[in-house]
Amino acid sequence: MKGFFTSIATWQGILSIVIVVLASLFLFRKGKKGLSTRDVVAIGIGAALYGALSYISIPIGPNTSFRIAVALLPIFGAIFGPIVGFLVGFIGHALNDALMNGSVWWSWVFLSAFMGMFGGIITFDKDFDVLSGMIQKKHYFKMYMYAIIGMLVGSVVAYAGDVFLYGEPAAKVWLQIILANAANLVVIAIVGIPVIILLAKTKSKNNNLDVDA
Amino acid sequence: MSRTGSLYIDRNTIFHRLDGSIKLMLWICWTIFIFMFMDIRVFAIMTIVGFVLLRIAQIPFKSIKPLLIFIIIFTIFNSILLIIVTPEYGSQLTGKYTVLLNLFGVKLTMQTLFYALTLSLKYISLLPITLLFLFTTNPSEFACSLNRLGVSYKVAYSISIALRYIPDVRDEMINIINAQEARGVPFKKGDANTIKLLKNYLTILFPLLISSLQRVDVVSNAMDLRGFGKYKTRTWYNRRPLELNDYIFIVISIALVILGVFVKNNFLNKFYCI
Repeated sequence: MKGFFTSIATWQGILSIVIVVLASLFLFRKGKKGLSTRDVVAIGIGAALYGALSYISIPIGPNTSFRIAVALLPIFGAIFGPIVGFLVGFIGHALNDALMNGSVWWSWVFLSAFMGMFGGIITFDKDFDVLSGMIQKKHYFKMYMYAIIGMLVGSVVAYAGDVFLYGEPAAKVWLQIILANAANLVVIAIVGIPVIILLAKTKSKNNNLDVDA
Repeated sequence: MSRTGSLYIDRNTIFHRLDGSIKLMLWICWTIFIFMFMDIRVFAIMTIVGFVLLRIAQIPFKSIKPLLIFIIIFTIFNSILLIIVTPEYGSQLTGKYTVLLNLFGVKLTMQTLFYALTLSLKYISLLPITLLFLFTTNPSEFACSLNRLGVSYKVAYSISIALRYIPDVRDEMINIINAQEARGVPFKKGDANTIKLLKNYLTILFPLLISSLQRVDVVSNAMDLRGFGKYKTRTWYNRRPLELNDYIFIVISIALVILGVFVKNNFLNKFYCI
């Protein structure tokens, strides 16, 4: 029985590392080189927002809760891109954990980070820009899809971290991951993505200014 | 939590004088060390050492107490879930079955209880070093420390901005909640049912987001005007050259990891159970 568990665990461990490496490579290739000042400030303010909104949480299970702050991850990802999304999740979650609880749960920090990162992949579409009001029906479906992929990737990383680093039993971690993902999916589906669409619709679509050559 | 959004307590001890980056390094090495083991004796020793270090840093117990209570409640819930979901996990690891309770064929074993205890102590042993870093490092030194450890200064600066703006954003949120309450929207328990309250909390997200996006523009324009990001590196107001103490703690941190690898490979490579 023990051999059975460890064989699955190592297989998933390898998979999680492969996913992380592939995701980072993908980002480096497609993402911008370096951060602009605006990105730096967006990460800071986004992380601060994440911390402030973390006050609002409703526990749904042991050490798992329903948090509105999660909705910020796809929003900041969709506005500023995957690198900002990743760092908002990472810094926001880690800082909030450290300042509120005194200890940082590193494996779950990565769940937040990957949700932000995959929320930002939509910005690779040339005809998508929230702040200029450029959004179409086809993007809605894509955003939901990327959010779910982000959760899956983040879950694998959180699982690997919990099992290998923190030494939790696999069955228990699965239960927590399913609960947390269900709660996060509800928050993202009901709040996160509708807010992105709303935000894009409030921005004016065309202005009369032309770029002077 | 103070107005500045940090836990820093000003004292003059060896840990306060230590450079922030060294404390960060000690924290990372300590965490790696703890992650390597599944042995209650190691965790007990590290927990005691950790609290002795907090004592040396003159952190009053009053300020640690709420965080300590939080982690204890957290580990209790965690243990309960662990025992409910996998009541035989500890026995699967050790191969010994000492059944304490037999409910409809589901056996709770002594080894699982001991495993839950070990795990709880593992999490508690990570607490003191995190607190040592948070309580003795000035928040304005935070970004500089990260940068010294090789994190890009832009990312380090983001963390600085986050620390700086947590209280401001929270005030903004409270303002919005107050404004909505003045219009008769309920936010407190007992005024409406939970679903309604949750819905009301969702309505504050949009205005908060709009004001934050404006803040991003204002702050980034101000930083651009001051030439932020022009060079590949930057200097820090708080950076001091490393002193003898700092070097001693670098050696201690690295020694801790090497000791961990050595002990893990030679003596304590499995889950220890009495």
